[in-house]
Amino acid sequence: MEDIRAYIETGILELYVLGDVTPDEKLQVEEMAKKHPAVKAELDEIERSLELYAQENAVEPSENLRSRVMGSILTNLGDDNNFPEKPQPVNHKLVELTARKENNFYKYAFAASLALLIASTIALVSVYSRLQQSTNQLEAIQLQNQHFSNRVNLMDRELGIFRDPSFKLLKLQGTAKTPASVVMLAFSPSKKKVMIDMGNVKLPENDKDHQYQLWALVGGKPVDLGVFDAKNDSTGMKEMKSIALADAFAVTLEPKGGSVNPTMDQMMVLGKF
Amino acid sequence: MVFSLRNHEKIAIEALYDMYSAALFGVISRIVVDTAIAEDVLQETFVKIWHSFSSYSTEKGRLFTWMVNIARNLAIDKIRSKDFKNQNKNQEIENTVNSIDEQRSTVYKPELMGVKDLVDTLKPEQKSIIDLVYFKGYTHVEAADELGVPLGTIKTRLRMGIQQLRKHFN
Repeated sequence: MEDIRAYIETGILELYVLGDVTPDEKLQVEEMAKKHPAVKAELDEIERSLELYAQENAVEPSENLRSRVMGSILTNLGDDNNFPEKPQPVNHKLVELTARKENNFYKYAFAASLALLIASTIALVSVYSRLQQSTNQLEAIQLQNQHFSNRVNLMDRELGIFRDPSFKLLKLQGTAKTPASVVMLAFSPSKKKVMIDMGNVKLPENDKDHQYQLWALVGGKPVDLGVFDAKNDSTGMKEMKSIALADAFAVTLEPKGGSVNPTMDQMMVLGKF
Repeated sequence: MVFSLRNHEKIAIEALYDMYSAALFGVISRIVVDTAIAEDVLQETFVKIWHSFSSYSTEKGRLFTWMVNIARNLAIDKIRSKDFKNQNKNQEIENTVNSIDEQRSTVYKPELMGVKDLVDTLKPEQKSIIDLVYFKGYTHVEAADELGVPLGTIKTRLRMGIQQLRKHFN
């Protein structure tokens, strides 16, 4: 009992209450308090008096601090994983939900962008191939158009010949050698033009070593007016060498490129004015 | 009260705040003079009480003793922290006079008048030791240095002073 009295008298209990003891001393005091009710009672007295002393010295903190403190405690509730029970479920869930929502948003946004990218690529490829197709079609149509306009020009020129009053049309009839042959010819003395209507040439087809040659007879002498080929599918007017005056025209079959003088026994057609 | 605090009930911490915030703030604001910082420390104190409540047991002593030790330690940590020291260094010259006044004003605070009367019933040497250890957060070793008195004497005076208080409150 004397020992306990002495222990209390050392002042260690006061320092213990003030938190001014080493961990060893702390354990020692707690041991003593457990064993000896007198120590425990003394501790309690010291604590009570210091608590009352603190109450006497109380300083009221500002009004708004209370809500600030409660706010920070409740905010921290959300992070508290060791929540045994009766947490603030609303708050707790709210924090989690917001976080998850955000996560999902970015996931979905990423997936959506990816899908959009794939869709755009497919669309782009398809549009590009269709564009290519259209370009090809357009080229084909332009080509056709060109062809037609060429044809129209040609026809126009031919038509011009038939309309021109200075042109005279002459039908060269087949000779005894080829009675069925016919060559239509247009001649304009004033314009010095001779043209063969290739669509109306009725002559046996020439082989590749021979060509037909047109002659003009001027004062009984033959004048070379150029060569041409006779084919079944020939069309249009073929302009020959120019001449101003002619009594008659004749066509002979000559070696390819023509001859200086006509081979008379190969005369196919003949026509006179 | 202790039970519902252990269960983290909001109403318990509110009751605890209403009962003890002023007493704790009294201790904190004598260690940390700047009111705004002292309020920060009080906030930290309650957050810490809330989170580490499981480490308190009634066997170890009164709840207030446990809480006031938390508050005192946090307050001492604060004034020794780098932030706090830098903040003081960075104060502008014009404000220095005021802040010095504020720092000394503890002595003149009206709420301290009652304490002064009370402490006047103590002997001056008891009063100064209780001032240093209880209000200023000194350890008794630091207090012995400050007052230039042997450790044993410090302990005795502290004990006598507290006994004086016990008589006063009884």
